[in-house]
Amino acid sequence: MANKKCVAMLLAGGQGSRLGVLTSKIAKPAVPYGGKYRIIDFPLSNCTNSGIDTVGILTQYKPLELNDYIGSGKPWDLNRTGGGVHILPPYHGQKGGNWYKGTANAIYQNLEFIERYNPEYVLILSGDHIYKMDYSLMLESHIESGAACTIAVLEVSMEEASRFGIMNTKEDGTIYEFEEKPKNPKSNLASMGIYIFDWKKLKYYLTEDEKNPESSNDFGKNIIPSMLGNGELLKVYRFADYWKDVGTVDSLWEANLDLLNPKIDLNLGDKDWRIYSRNEAAPPQYISAEAEVENSLITDGCDISGKVDYSILFKNVTIEEDTSVEYSLIMPGAVIKKGAKVRYSIIAENAVVEENAQIGEDPQNAETANWGITVVGDNLTVGKNAKISANKMIVEDVKEGEEV
Amino acid sequence: MKRTTVSGLIFANADDGKLKKLTANRSMASVPFGARYRMIDFTLSNLVNAGVNSVGIVTKENYRSLMDHVGSGVYWDLDRKNGGLYIIPPYSKKGIKKYTGSISGLNAAMDFIDRCGSEYIVLCSPHAIANIDISAALDFHKEKNADVTVIYKNDYPPQESYEKIILSLDGEQKITKMTFTAGKEKVPFGIGVTIIGRKLLMKLIDEAVDGDLVNFTRDVISKKLKTLNVYGFEHTEFIAVMDNTHTYYQASMALLNRDVRKQLFNPERPIFTKVRDSMPTRYGTKADVTDSIIGDDCVIDGTVKNSIIFRGVKIEKGAVVENCILMQETKVGENAELNNVIADKNTVIGAKMVLKGTEQRHCFVEKNQVL
Repeated sequence: MANKKCVAMLLAGGQGSRLGVLTSKIAKPAVPYGGKYRIIDFPLSNCTNSGIDTVGILTQYKPLELNDYIGSGKPWDLNRTGGGVHILPPYHGQKGGNWYKGTANAIYQNLEFIERYNPEYVLILSGDHIYKMDYSLMLESHIESGAACTIAVLEVSMEEASRFGIMNTKEDGTIYEFEEKPKNPKSNLASMGIYIFDWKKLKYYLTEDEKNPESSNDFGKNIIPSMLGNGELLKVYRFADYWKDVGTVDSLWEANLDLLNPKIDLNLGDKDWRIYSRNEAAPPQYISAEAEVENSLITDGCDISGKVDYSILFKNVTIEEDTSVEYSLIMPGAVIKKGAKVRYSIIAENAVVEENAQIGEDPQNAETANWGITVVGDNLTVGKNAKISANKMIVEDVKEGEEV
Repeated sequence: MKRTTVSGLIFANADDGKLKKLTANRSMASVPFGARYRMIDFTLSNLVNAGVNSVGIVTKENYRSLMDHVGSGVYWDLDRKNGGLYIIPPYSKKGIKKYTGSISGLNAAMDFIDRCGSEYIVLCSPHAIANIDISAALDFHKEKNADVTVIYKNDYPPQESYEKIILSLDGEQKITKMTFTAGKEKVPFGIGVTIIGRKLLMKLIDEAVDGDLVNFTRDVISKKLKTLNVYGFEHTEFIAVMDNTHTYYQASMALLNRDVRKQLFNPERPIFTKVRDSMPTRYGTKADVTDSIIGDDCVIDGTVKNSIIFRGVKIEKGAVVENCILMQETKVGENAELNNVIADKNTVIGAKMVLKGTEQRHCFVEKNQVL
C-alpha cells in the first residue's frame, strides 16, 4: 500500500441525543440539511476538496442509513484505488472486542487501519458541523510550526465561550491550557473538534491513554491534556469563516435558515468548493398556479401549491393548496395537506401533516411561555385539525383534532 | 447468469434535422428537455428500468455534448463489468463511415450486436419523450412468440414533417400493414422502439447491407410482414414526439400538467440523469413564481409564469418571464421581459431587454448568445 501524507478519521458514531426524535433511527451525521444534503456531506466534501483521498469513517450508533448513504464514496469522489472511504465499525478480534468507549478509543481501535497507509499526519474530524474548510491550509500550518498537534479554533464571543472547549494560548498561538466549558473563560478561542496530529505522536498517546483504566478515552478530556502535561508543542489554527455546531434542534434549524440570510456567508453554490451529496432521481420541482413562494430553498421532486416563506424544503416534499409554511424545515418526502399551517417547525422525513392541522407557533404571539422549535418525527402522521404548540417534540402519531 | 439477455441500441442522431436550431451543436439525444434532462435520459432510463444492462449508442456527428452527458454511464447504473455502456462513433474501424440511414447505423454497431450475446435487442430512437414499460413489451414479445415487436401509440395526432410509421393491426395485435405517409386522422403510430431477436437482427442487417437498403423499418421490416411475425405493443401513457421547435415547445409545456408528470415520472420507473452537485433553487424576497417547472441551482427573484426553467438559471428582480423555456445557465437581467421565448444554454438577456415571440412563432435565443 502506498504511503499517504495525511489520512482523515471521521468520528460519525455519535447518537446526537439532543436532536431527539431526529436521531431516533439515524446517526447524527446522516441528519438531512439544506434541502439536499446531510451533515456528513460537509466533512467529506471538505476532504475531497482539500486533496485528502483516504477517509476512515467510524460508525457505531444506528449505522444502517449512514452506511447506505456513504456506499462506495462515489458522490464525494472518494471511491479511490489505494484509499477512498472506509466504514469502520467496532469489531471483534481474537481477544474479543469492545464498543468504541470514547473518541480517542475509537481511533485507538483502528490503529491498524491507519498503519496500512503509514501516514505522516492524521486529521481527526467529526460529523456534527456545517462549514467549508480547506484542511490543506491547516496541514500546511501544522507542518510549518512543527507542532505535535494543531487544533482548529474559532473566535466566539466571551458570553458564548463557556459553552465550548476553550484553548488558552500564548501570543504565537501555542496552547498552554485546554478548558472544557469553563465557567470563567480566559480566552474566546473555541475548539472546532478538528485536530491534526503527527501520526507517531498520536499513536504513542493513544496507546498510553489505553493503559489508564481511569481515562474516559476522549481527545478533549484526556489526550490533549496529557500531551500538554508532557510539554508537547500544541498550536491553534484560526478559522474565521462560517462554522456551526448542529447538535441541538435550535442550532440545526438556525444553520438551515442561515442559508437564506444574505448576511451569512455560506454559499453552497460555490463551484470552486462544491458540497457533494448522494442524489436520488427525482423530477424537477413544480410550483403550481396557486403557490406563493418567497425567500426559500426548494429542490427536486417538490410539488408546491401553498404559501411558502422563509423555509427549506427538501427532496420530494408536497405542499397542498391553502397551506402556509413559514420559518420551517420540511424534510424529504413529507406531505403538508390542504389548509395546514406549519411555522417554526421541523417536519422530519416522510411525515404527513393532515388537513387543517396546525404545527408550531410564532415567537411573538406564542401561548406557551417556553417558546421553541417544534419537531415532528419521521414517518409520523399529524391528524386533521390537530394542534401542536411551540417547543414540542412529537414522537408518535397525533390523532385527529388532538391538541398537544 | 453471465450474459445479459437483452441489450439496447440507441441511434443518437436519428432525426437530428427536425429540431434544427436545437440540434445545431448537438445530437437529438442530447437536446435538453424538462428542466433537468436530456432526451436520451428517457431512452436510457426506459432500458435500464427493464433490466437492460448493456447499451450501445450509435453516434454520427455533433456528439461531444452527448459524450459529456453520458460519460461512463454511471448515472444510469451502466458502468458495469458485465455489459455497460458502449459509444459507437463513426470511422471506428475500416469500412465504417458516417451512417446515412438506420441500416448503415446498425452495420456500424454490428460488433456490439455480435458480442453482447443477448437474446434480444431493443432498437431505440431518442426523439420520443415517454416512460415506456419495455419490460412489459418484452413479456408480450415472448408470449406472442414474435420475431419483431414494434411499440406504438394509438390515436396519435400526426406530426407535420415526420417520417410516420403507421400500423395496421389485426385483433391479435399482429401488424398486417405498415405505411409511411399519413393524412390528418389519428392513427396507430410507431414510436421508434423495436424489439427483435439478436440473431434475426444480424441476419437481416447482412441481407440489407448486401441489398444496399437504407431504412430498417421501411425497407426491411415493412417488406417482411408476411414472412416474419411482427407484432405491435401499445404504449398507453403519455408520449411526445418532437419534430420541430413548435412540437418541442408543446411537449415541454405538457409537463405543467400533473397527470403527464405522474405518467412520465412514475417512481416505479424513475428517469435518471447526470448529477450536477448543485444546490437547491433559491427564491428571493421578490420572487413570484406560478405554474412552472424549475430545475435545481436557480436563483429566482423575478416573476415566472407558465414556464420551464432549467438548472442554474438566474432571474433578477423585476424581470418577467412568461410562457418561456429557459435552458441551463440562462441569465435574465433586472426588469427584462420575456414572453414565448426559447433560450438555449448559457445565454444572457440583459436588463430591461424585451423579447416577445408568439404562440405560433417562438423567439429563439441561440446557445451562448449575449443580448
